[in-house]
Amino acid sequence: MARRKGLVINDRQLDRCDDLLLKLKEVSGSSFLALISTSGQPITTASDSYHPETLSLASLAASSFAATQQLASLLDENEFTLLFHEGKALNLHVSQVTDQILLIVTFGRETQVGKVRLYTQRAIEVLRQIFEGPDDENMPSMDADFESAAGDAMDDLFKDV
Amino acid sequence: MPLINFAAREINYKIVYYGCGLCGKTTNLQYIHRKINPDARGKLVSIATEEERTLYFDFLPLTLGTVKGMQTRFHLYTVPGQSYYNASRKLVLQGVDGVIFVADSQITRLDENVESYLNLWDNLLGQGDDLSKLGFVIQMNKRDLSDIFSIEDMNELLNHTASPVTESSAITGEGVFDTLKVVCKQVIAKTG
Repeated sequence: MARRKGLVINDRQLDRCDDLLLKLKEVSGSSFLALISTSGQPITTASDSYHPETLSLASLAASSFAATQQLASLLDENEFTLLFHEGKALNLHVSQVTDQILLIVTFGRETQVGKVRLYTQRAIEVLRQIFEGPDDENMPSMDADFESAAGDAMDDLFKDV
Repeated sequence: MPLINFAAREINYKIVYYGCGLCGKTTNLQYIHRKINPDARGKLVSIATEEERTLYFDFLPLTLGTVKGMQTRFHLYTVPGQSYYNASRKLVLQGVDGVIFVADSQITRLDENVESYLNLWDNLLGQGDDLSKLGFVIQMNKRDLSDIFSIEDMNELLNHTASPVTESSAITGEGVFDTLKVVCKQVIAKTG
C-alpha cells in the first residue's frame, strides 16, 4: 500500500543511460532525447544543437502521457504504451520505460518513424534492465545537514519578496 | 516521491496547489512568478480555457540553488478546480510530495471548499501513497474580503489532520511565500 519510495538515480545508472541515449540518437537519426520521470521531472538528455526548454517539456510530456493512459482505460484498452505527435518539421515520440520513467525522442524529416520506433523499442529493453536491476547497496545518501541548509537557502530566496 | 539524481547532483520535489474553482490557486503561482528572482524560476506554463480557467494544470519550476552540492528544485503545479475535472486532478497528483490546499474563505464558498477537500483526500487515498510522507498545508485565502469565515471555523471544517495553516490574500501576495515556504520545508523534512 505504502509506495512513497521516490526515484533515486546513481552514477552508474546515469552513465549507462547517457551512453545509450547517445547511441540511440545516432542510429535513429533523432535530434533530442530525454529520460524523464512519470511525475514530470527530467533525468537526463542527449542532444547536439537542439535544446528545448527541458523542465516544461518534461512536465507537459509526462502529463500528456498520463492523460493518454487514462484514455486507454476509458476505451477498455490495457494501455497505450506510446504517444506520438507529428509536426511539419518535427515529431515527438514519448514511450514508457518503467512505471516511473518515460523516454522522449524528437526527430525531423531526415529520418523515418519506423526506424525511430524500432531502435527506441530496443533501447527501452536495455533501459529497463538499468532501472529494474537489483538495488545498489552502495547507493549514496543525502547529506545529513541537507534539511537545515535547504531551509537557509529558502529563507535567502524568499527574503526580498 | 522526490526524484533524487545523485549522478547529476539534482533533487526535484513536486508541490501541488489544490482547491475549488476560483479559490486562487493560479493567482498564487502568478504572484510567485512575478515576484521571485527571474534567475530562480522557469517559464510559467498554463493549460487553460479561452476564459482563462485552468483546464489541466499550471506549472512553474523554482530553483533553490545548490544545497550541499545538490541542485534543488521545486516543481509547482495547480489543478483545475471545477468539480468535473477530477480525472485531470488525479493525474496532476501523481508523484506529489507536498500539497497546498487553497481554501476560499468566503462564506458563500463553503460547500465548494468542503467538496474539494474531501475530493483531495479521496484522490490521495486512491493513489495508495504513504500519506505520512506527504507535506500538507492549508492556505486560508481571500482574507482581505468581507463576509468570510473565521480561521477557527475554517479549521474545524477543513483541517481534520491538524495540519499547518496560513492566511493569505493571493491577489495582493500576502501570505503567498509564507505558505510556499512551510510546505517546501515540510517536504524536505519528510522526504529528503
